[in-house]
Amino acid sequence: MNLAFATGAAVLFGCGAYLLLHRDLFRVVGGIALISQAATLTLIASGLTRGRAPISPEPNEPVSDPVPQALALTALVIGLATLALLLALVHRLTVVLRTARHDELAAQEAQHESRLEPDRQRDRDEAT
Amino acid sequence: MTLLATVLLVPWVAGALLVGLDGRRRPLAWSAVAVLAVGLVLLVALTVRVASAGPVQLVTGGWPAGVGIVLRADALGATFAVVSQLVLLVAAAHEAIPGPRARSFPGLVVLLAAGLTGLFLTGDVFNFYVFFEVAMTASYALAAYGGRPRQLRAALVFAAVNLLGSFIFLLSVAGTYRITGSLAMADVADGVLRAGANAGLLVAVGFFVAFSTKLGLFPFHFWLPTVYAGSRPAVAAILSGAVANIGGYGLIRFGAGIFPAQLRMAATALVVLGAASIVYGGVLAVSRGDTAELLAYSAIGQVGYVLVAVGVGGPVGLAAAVFYSVVNALNKALLFLTAGLRGPLVAGAFVVGALSVAGVPPAAGFVGKLTLFRTGVAAGSPALVVLLLVGSALSLLYMFMNYQRQFWRSDPAAGTTVSPLPRRALVAVLALLVLALGLWAEPLWQLSQQAADLFARESG
Repeated sequence: MNLAFATGAAVLFGCGAYLLLHRDLFRVVGGIALISQAATLTLIASGLTRGRAPISPEPNEPVSDPVPQALALTALVIGLATLALLLALVHRLTVVLRTARHDELAAQEAQHESRLEPDRQRDRDEAT
Repeated sequence: MTLLATVLLVPWVAGALLVGLDGRRRPLAWSAVAVLAVGLVLLVALTVRVASAGPVQLVTGGWPAGVGIVLRADALGATFAVVSQLVLLVAAAHEAIPGPRARSFPGLVVLLAAGLTGLFLTGDVFNFYVFFEVAMTASYALAAYGGRPRQLRAALVFAAVNLLGSFIFLLSVAGTYRITGSLAMADVADGVLRAGANAGLLVAVGFFVAFSTKLGLFPFHFWLPTVYAGSRPAVAAILSGAVANIGGYGLIRFGAGIFPAQLRMAATALVVLGAASIVYGGVLAVSRGDTAELLAYSAIGQVGYVLVAVGVGGPVGLAAAVFYSVVNALNKALLFLTAGLRGPLVAGAFVVGALSVAGVPPAAGFVGKLTLFRTGVAAGSPALVVLLLVGSALSLLYMFMNYQRQFWRSDPAAGTTVSPLPRRALVAVLALLVLALGLWAEPLWQLSQQAADLFARESG
């Protein structure tokens, strides 16, 4: 069972890392979402015990560990909130710049930088 | 005990209320400043009590320890909480003077204060993660403050990279629970001693990567210049003076408090990484023309000193790490705020910050550098002392090259508008504080030593 969880988390993390390296911003967000799921899966796997639910334990019978489940729930909620925030940010960026691709953003940034370059050059001339 | 609960509750309630209201109105912005000031007074009171009577502990909900979540204020956490709150207060006042540009700004700063205070005053690993995410979520939104493409891009880079760091932290928390079976920091520290060496090292490396990303140490620094240079001055001051403290605090708390054996094992690697950070940050800062970008690279260099001090370890090294983190947070807040202003008093405040970064008396940075040199001597390594000296020389060079470029130029087009007097007075007050801390460093030094002694007892 441990192996299955470990493989699952590893595959999720790997896919997430792959998507994270994409140029499309929505894929980057997807990658982060997958990595957050990998973390949640690892949390659940960190305390795997078979037994009854701890709300009504019976004597002499094993009880399943409730802590990782509580942790996973909290982590899911936090993951959802951060994901929503990230999507809102990407949406705002696409509205403002009309593109959701890293390379186009970088090109606009470079254009902006090159316009600033004369100012900088003047600064340097004056400093030396 | 009630003081500890009040310190956490005040910013929570106020932040939740303020976020719902229109923060662009002046009275609301000032009420956020007032809340932060009240929080600061409470935190100082808590620190005084901790310094005189030892750590304060509270188990939430009246549960027995081990079931309930432990809140714990000791010298280390209280020191970091006070300095972060101070930086947030100054930055919030800086924005409140002309009136914030976004409706959510005051509320977000107060919520960030709530997250940071909780993070520094918790004694539970998972609770640390929750407060950490609260603080980070507020700072992702703050990074976009200003709303121009540059700030949005900075916010996106900041959020994407730091979310990855957060999930690596969460994976490490899962690993900690797996190998120790508990989440309270004190029990975890005991559990790690009993666990296998390999598992302990793996989890420790995970925590190290997460905190280094937050702090912007050399191999994990790639996001930092874009974000610090792209965001507005007040936000850059908050990110470098308050949010980056999470990384420094985490390295000390988790490194020295929970994984002391792993820390000793990796000491050389940490010192080498810190040294790389110092040289890389210093050399690149010299080559930058833009002030904000220069300060960003300077920040990478300065946190290298903290890592070197943590790597050397022992009472001397850890005390130096705490002291230098505090001084560095104040320096960076002062410099980022000053960089955006023009007019009388501003150049003076910038010089104080520059002297403090370079470690020239009577600024606070001098005492910080002195403690670091003492660390180098304690480590018995001449190479380390030489490195610290080179780092200081580099910082003197880049700070004053920038000073010359910014304040001595005769180009009237660049500095025509004079900033409002209250804003300039605010940075002047912060500069005076940095000077005062350098002239009377005794209280902070005592506090840093108390924080370091905490770990001497635990590991010895």
